[in-house]
Amino acid sequence: MASDDFASKTVTMIAEWHSVTPPNDVALRMVADLAKTISQFEALRGTLRFEDEPSSFEAALVEAAAIGISA
Amino acid sequence: MTDLANLSLTEAVTAMQTGKASAVEVLESCLTQLDAQEAGINAVIWMDREYAAESARAADAALARGEPTGLLHGLPLAHKDMYYQAGRLSSCGSTIREDFRPTYTATVIERLSAAGAYAFAGLNMAEFAQNGTGHNAHYGDCHNPWNLDYMTGGSSSGSGAAVAARYTYAALGSDTGGSIRLPAAANGVSGIKPTQTRVSRYGVMPLSFSADNVGPLARTARDCARILSVIAGHDPRDPTSATMPVPDYEAGMNGDLRGLRVGVPTNYFLDECDAPVLSAFTDAVKALEARGAQVVHITLPHMDAVTAYVGVMSRVEGGAIHAQWMRERPQDYAVHINSRLFASLAVPATYYVEAQSRRGPILKAFCADVFTQVDVILSPTIRCCLPTLAATNADSGLPDAVDRFMGISLNTRPFNYLGLPAASIACGFDPNGLPISLQIAGRPFAEATVLKVADAYQQETDWHTKVPEMAKA
Repeated sequence: MASDDFASKTVTMIAEWHSVTPPNDVALRMVADLAKTISQFEALRGTLRFEDEPSSFEAALVEAAAIGISA
Repeated sequence: MTDLANLSLTEAVTAMQTGKASAVEVLESCLTQLDAQEAGINAVIWMDREYAAESARAADAALARGEPTGLLHGLPLAHKDMYYQAGRLSSCGSTIREDFRPTYTATVIERLSAAGAYAFAGLNMAEFAQNGTGHNAHYGDCHNPWNLDYMTGGSSSGSGAAVAARYTYAALGSDTGGSIRLPAAANGVSGIKPTQTRVSRYGVMPLSFSADNVGPLARTARDCARILSVIAGHDPRDPTSATMPVPDYEAGMNGDLRGLRVGVPTNYFLDECDAPVLSAFTDAVKALEARGAQVVHITLPHMDAVTAYVGVMSRVEGGAIHAQWMRERPQDYAVHINSRLFASLAVPATYYVEAQSRRGPILKAFCADVFTQVDVILSPTIRCCLPTLAATNADSGLPDAVDRFMGISLNTRPFNYLGLPAASIACGFDPNGLPISLQIAGRPFAEATVLKVADAYQQETDWHTKVPEMAKA
């Protein structure tokens, strides 16, 4: 993926979906850095499988509170 | 510095209750510290001296009449400037809200007030709580009392600096990616991010609906426990707040860690740590072992997923919260804030949903793997020796500054995705004389265990009693 092309397409997409234009040059660099996020998600694909997905996070907190505690 | 200013929060409350000090004297000791140092530190956005004096006099009068008193009676406090108090400024560290005066008061402020404390100042913070370094382009950077050239950590920058400099005995911060633990660490004080949902967020500026937490910074773990016992618990005005009962967080603080297992991670948290940080961390583990803790080396599961998902979750929510101001007032944000918000608008909804839908399952899998082997997880709060403000100024455009800026919160962010309670306490100093800190995380709602470990460490060592030279004058 050419980073200039990726950044350009992303800026256009943000303008069309959100009506926000790049506020400064640093914003363009931050957009280019999204490629790292894509890489992180790509690396996860197919590695996780959960039977209870999705589930309430609040309920999970309560359930997990008792893990490892002897009755 | 007077002896009164250097008391811990719990000691100051006891001094007032036993007649050894008046509330007026306690307030004067704080204001003396503030007046002597504020020109250099810049921890305060606003303050109300008249209200503070009235509150202190009223507290003394109530004591003289023999009225029942709360756990924090007569205590002057100052908080990160994002806790709404009806009619008072709540700038949120921003130009956009420089005149914002909410019409209602945050639940946590009401609870502190009901316990007898009063808030006399709004403290400096990162703009809209959106950086981990403490930079602020609108109100000026907050400076570290240990060395004014160095960062305070953020986003609760003023909270960390004000507690270290003895302006206040404690301060509320907020923590979405480390914003309580980072300034606690950088300023050598104690702080705890509670379990997600443990403390009400009603009347608190939102940054990320899923990851925002309210908690205290103070001199000691016991002080944090006292504040948390007052502010924790269900709030009908915040339907996301937990209904789990609130224990007495101070009850188990006996310094005895026999039978308790402390986990030292073999992955992620010690990666690329600076040598002085690693050395201080190793010594801290030994100190806990001396108190009877059993040390267990443990590999933490799912860290790649946790680090990927936490970044997307909070960024997307921040982008949604700020989108309208981004359209209307982009020039009123600092460069490093609006540039990051801008990029967050491009993250696909499917990524966000993936991060959210797997949060509960990952938490349960993490806890089942980890908390059957250990009771708490130990790590350095910050992996590197503390950098200067200049070295982490993301607005400078220097690529290294952006990397350092992002690297500060590597060890704190994972616990925001997992929603686990995590405390930070001082455990040494680096070669530049800046604090190094230990992070202690526990299973959901195990704040009492986390604070018990922190307190035992503070009974074994004296790092938490160290005072910046400029605060001693």
